[in-house]
Amino acid sequence: MRPIARATGRALFFTAMICGVTALAWSHHAAAPVFDMNAEKTVIGVVKQVDWTNPHIWIWLDVQNASGQVETWGFEGMSPNFLARRGWTRTSLLPGTRITVTFRPLRDGKAGGMFMTGKLGDGKVLTSAGAE
Amino acid sequence: MKHDTRIVLLLVTAVAIAVAAQESKPKPPAAADWAALAKLPDLTGVWEAPTVGRGGRGPAAAPPPVPQLTPAYAAKKRELDARNFDDTDAANCLPTGMPAIMGHPYPYEFLLTPGKVTIVSEAYMQVRHVYTDGRPLPADPDPTFNGTSIGRWDRDTLVVETIGFSPLTTIARNTPHSDKMRTSERFRLTGPDTMSVETTVIDPEALAKPWTTTRTLARHRDWTIREYICEENNRNFLDAQGKAGVKLDAPAKKE
Repeated sequence: MRPIARATGRALFFTAMICGVTALAWSHHAAAPVFDMNAEKTVIGVVKQVDWTNPHIWIWLDVQNASGQVETWGFEGMSPNFLARRGWTRTSLLPGTRITVTFRPLRDGKAGGMFMTGKLGDGKVLTSAGAE
Repeated sequence: MKHDTRIVLLLVTAVAIAVAAQESKPKPPAAADWAALAKLPDLTGVWEAPTVGRGGRGPAAAPPPVPQLTPAYAAKKRELDARNFDDTDAANCLPTGMPAIMGHPYPYEFLLTPGKVTIVSEAYMQVRHVYTDGRPLPADPDPTFNGTSIGRWDRDTLVVETIGFSPLTTIARNTPHSDKMRTSERFRLTGPDTMSVETTVIDPEALAKPWTTTRTLARHRDWTIREYICEENNRNFLDAQGKAGVKLDAPAKKE
């Protein structure tokens, strides 16, 4: 799929997640109150740990800040159930892997957000909608 | 003589009670009951709604109709809206109950056995028990999240009637229901691997008119239902003041 179509698909999905609570569709939690769904940020780091858990996977990334100290960032992904049906496995991202993560930042400004894509060194891209 | 009559009456009563008990006891399924399942529309398997943006798999859905409330319940909704809660208790892992349980972006498995359709919802690991053995709905069931359901086959359509919902469940966001709420669902195959689910919510106290929505499910023969323990690693929360947040404390160390 073309990247633009993919990005649109993702945007629509998260919109569906936000709007879902007004209709029959009802996800685990609303995204907009905690993540800034209009912002997209990028950070480069090394995978510290992946929690392949429900209701969401969590990707913990060690990121070097401007003063050279390492901070651990946390990114919420989809559920392992959703992702496992779309090409991810629990070993898709292994500790020690260097990746570029794009994300919707946490509204409280803390180090983390909603995982959108993770670009690996070999060009492989893991997205919240599925792996390529 | 008088004593004997009493004994006879007691015996007759005891036999009558035993017969009645025998009649109300469900019969075990026979081979014919299992064979009869093959004649029913095949709803078995794992189904999921191809909702918008799921990896580009589904078309953009039209916004569903909004429930029309009675003045009294419209006032209740305004009051709840004014509290401006960020989210619902689903963020705290509380299952949604009917009718929202059928709107999840997660799959469902349908199982057909003699006298029963079982719907397994992956999200929150929920199960709906739909009895199709001809029993009537109970007069006054205990209120539960998924309600009490019976089903019947209307030619090619499984019709499920449900009553008895917990006050912790809602019709839609900030939209409470009364104890008169009932739902009527129609499950019908529309293709080899597509199913239409039409859900009507009826509540004469809360709804000005029945609220009907339709969802299409797609069958995935190669899928299985996975475990979903919401409390496994739930970092989302909604606090008592209605503020949503994310717990970002350090993850548990792994070996």
